[in-house]
Amino acid sequence: MEKQLDLLQGTLDMLILKAVSLGPLHGYGVLLRIQQISQDRLEIQQGSLYPALYRLEHQGWIESEWGESENKRKAKYYHLTSAGKRRLQSETEKWNRMADVIAGILGSRPKEI
Amino acid sequence: MSGLRLIPWLRTIFQRSPAEREMDVELRFHLDAFAEDLMRRGVPRDEAIRRARVEFGGIENFKEECRDARGANVFESLWQDLRFALRMLRKSPVFTTVAVLTLALGIGANTAIFSIVDAVLLRSLAYPDPNQLVLMFAVPLKQPDALSGISYRDFTEYHEHNRVFSEMAGNAFHDLTLTGAGEPSIVNTGDVTPEIFPLLKAKPLQGRTLLPEDGKPGAVPVAVLSEDLWRSRFGSSPALIGKSITLDMRSFTVVGILPESFRYPDGAPHQDVWIPIAQDPLFGPRISQPGVPVMSGIGRLKPGVSLAQAQAEMNTLSARLAKEFPETDSGLTIRIEPYRQFVVGNVKSALLILLGAVGLVLLIACANIANLLLSRATSREKEIAVRIALGAGRARVVRQLLTESALLGLLGGFAGLLLAIMAVRSLRSFIPPDVALIGSIEVGGSVLAFALLLSLAAVLAFGLAPAFLAAPSNMQTNIKEGGERTGQRSGQRVRNFLAVVEISLAMVLLVAGGLLMRSFALVTSVNPGFDPKNVIEAEVSLPRFQYSMPKQWTAFSSELLDRLHEQPGLQDSALAAPLPMDRQGQASLEFSIVGDIPTPPGKTTTADYQTVSPDYFRVMRIPLQRGRYFSVQDSPSSPNVTIISEAMARRYFPNQDPIGREMRFGFPPNSNVPREIVGVVGDVRDLALGRKPGPIMYVPFSQAPLWGGEVVVRSSLSTSSVTAGIRQAVYAIDKNLPVTNVESFPNAIGASVAQERFRTFLLSSFSGIALILAAVGIFGVISYSTSQRTHEIGIRMALGAQRRSVLRLILGQGAKLAVLGVGAGAGAAFLLTRLMASLLYGVSATDPLTFSAVAMGLLGVALLACYIPARRATRIDPTVALRYE
Repeated sequence: MEKQLDLLQGTLDMLILKAVSLGPLHGYGVLLRIQQISQDRLEIQQGSLYPALYRLEHQGWIESEWGESENKRKAKYYHLTSAGKRRLQSETEKWNRMADVIAGILGSRPKEI
Repeated sequence: MSGLRLIPWLRTIFQRSPAEREMDVELRFHLDAFAEDLMRRGVPRDEAIRRARVEFGGIENFKEECRDARGANVFESLWQDLRFALRMLRKSPVFTTVAVLTLALGIGANTAIFSIVDAVLLRSLAYPDPNQLVLMFAVPLKQPDALSGISYRDFTEYHEHNRVFSEMAGNAFHDLTLTGAGEPSIVNTGDVTPEIFPLLKAKPLQGRTLLPEDGKPGAVPVAVLSEDLWRSRFGSSPALIGKSITLDMRSFTVVGILPESFRYPDGAPHQDVWIPIAQDPLFGPRISQPGVPVMSGIGRLKPGVSLAQAQAEMNTLSARLAKEFPETDSGLTIRIEPYRQFVVGNVKSALLILLGAVGLVLLIACANIANLLLSRATSREKEIAVRIALGAGRARVVRQLLTESALLGLLGGFAGLLLAIMAVRSLRSFIPPDVALIGSIEVGGSVLAFALLLSLAAVLAFGLAPAFLAAPSNMQTNIKEGGERTGQRSGQRVRNFLAVVEISLAMVLLVAGGLLMRSFALVTSVNPGFDPKNVIEAEVSLPRFQYSMPKQWTAFSSELLDRLHEQPGLQDSALAAPLPMDRQGQASLEFSIVGDIPTPPGKTTTADYQTVSPDYFRVMRIPLQRGRYFSVQDSPSSPNVTIISEAMARRYFPNQDPIGREMRFGFPPNSNVPREIVGVVGDVRDLALGRKPGPIMYVPFSQAPLWGGEVVVRSSLSTSSVTAGIRQAVYAIDKNLPVTNVESFPNAIGASVAQERFRTFLLSSFSGIALILAAVGIFGVISYSTSQRTHEIGIRMALGAQRRSVLRLILGQGAKLAVLGVGAGAGAAFLLTRLMASLLYGVSATDPLTFSAVAMGLLGVALLACYIPARRATRIDPTVALRYE
């Protein structure tokens, strides 16, 4: 249970950074954006978005300000900081490298070892 | 109720923080937006809201994670805990009130007593660096406890040659008569060498203190006045400096005023006037006599010099003096006593015992609180299980419970502090003057710190256990069973244990209080050997400049008695010095019996000495055992006679008739005068009611006159008319003579037991508090367990159990605890009360009567406390009880 959560958390952070890199979003908007890009293939516990948002903001990768939502309600909008931009880049590279390595390992056949 | 009224006030302080509010708005927005989306897709409103919540997940849990993520804001979550704790406390006002009151009692009593202990034992004396101060007395080498004064010559030698004191001074005390400023009055006078003021670092309020040249014999007589005397007799006139006042008919120039804060010595009557000892009418002439003790010394140790070093130095110096002046100084040395120890010595043990007693009260209070919290925690198991299920961490729950305990502790500490302030205020007038030695007693900074520490310690003591016990091990069963069955056994065991501890502690306190009460009752009902009822005493003192000859003293006394005897209602009057229970103590003199083998050197026989007019025994109703009383025929020209007390006859004339034997004793220069024993009278307790009567020698006032004495009058008239009669008689002889310290004899005796009364009162109040707390404790335990057993009792009654047997069941459970507690308490008391043996009179520290009476009483109260829940149990309706749950 714990390990799965960790993995999810790390991934979730990256997804959130990616989502807000495309433009300021409120929490619910982040959820919709991720679902939209992933074409609903990812199952995200809605509530778990917020601790992640708070953590990213605390680390200085995103910033928030209060604004008005599309239905005229007060909402908190998050956007990427420049540090967050760099972070997203490095995380993406790291993820890609890791995915390559793991794919390589998993795709290997007995002969090749 | 102050604790409860405080809560709304506290709540405004602990408002929700802005960050919390923003988080709420943000999450609410999410839920609403999601629900709206669902509704747009055709989901009905209620269903949409429900699904939004379900899909969001445990909202409190995520909030908690958000708070952590935001940067682990410790203070914010503490505030949250506090707000929640306040809500919980307010939801159960009875619990909160009982807990806060219990704590307030424990902490309040402790703080009040600590204030007294702090003032007397801990707070520094009124002088800078008081630990450097030592007192010095001359003592025989072989009898280091026989303190006496130092002769002026020896003092000068020590002063000049010692290398251990940065300053050294001599002091003696004497009452002088102040005339010419309103009514003649006695002023307490400090006779000092001038070094004492720099030694005590005293700064004058006006003018100056004494200078070294003022102390020399033959100097112009000068005096320093206390602020008090200056205000009361001279209207605070600054012009008084340089003017002269009359003391014992002698003129002294006022050179300075000492502020109210200057008090020396601590615990002694306040000194009104300070003069150089060389100018004192009594001691002045003696300072030129080499071997005559006149004063005690006080010294300030040089920094870094230890007591032992100082003592060694004085031993060396006195050995040298003994060689130099063998006829006066051989066999003498100087004994050094730390000033503080001398001042607080006699009240220390009583205060420490009181401190121990309040400590026990606090322990009982803590046990009570622990019990309360434990019962509450058990009944909250379900709530806590739910909170854990909703995602609260176990540590978080423990922290929450601890916060609640801490809040209770602080509220209790605050209420306790208020209680202490009130208690100290009302106790202050009740504290005997020789207990309140140093400065004023108040609840000050260090006491405040003490109270705070106490409440925090109490919080830790009673808060931790329930917090851990309450964090449940198996939350599923707790939710399912509603927390009513699990943990009940072990919880009940802890609660039972606490109740037993409370009862046993209360037992210890009650035994201690009981012993003191019995002892006090015995002391105050003891026959003092005379009948104080309707006797009034008054002090008359003759100024020695005017009345310097013993002949004048005799003449004055006989004229005074003649005038008193003439007045109707004052016929039963006599003169004596000193009286039994005299505030200034008793005079003890060496004596030898003519015809007996002389006592070996270094060993002396002493007895108390009183000089009395012939009617004294009749007025005081001291019975004659043998021989005769004094009569007017016993005059200065007739043979010297004495009357001895029964104890003296028994001890020094065993199996003989003392009548007709002779003893040698008297004040110098008459110390070797033979006096014939003409009578034996009954024993008198002259030192204190609680002290066994010792040997007393009486002499006729005419044969051993003094410059004054105490008039005693037995009269059915009121105190004021007797006082007026005495004043009239005295003023008729000399209108400049003061009559002071008029008091009824029973009052004077009452004052002599003020200390005993004070500590008896305190310890009995503590036992009272302990009894109440223990009763509340066992009541709580039994009623809680009864409420938990409602179901079981219902079944029993449905199966035909009689009310009586239910009553017996519950009472039996309480009785078992009470008996265990009383037994354990009796054992502990048996070991502990011997510590207070020195405070007891006439009862042993393990007095079986007190022990059994207290045990019975405590059992009775405990059973009474159990009877209330037991009665309630018998009223249980089986049908309701079985439907319960």
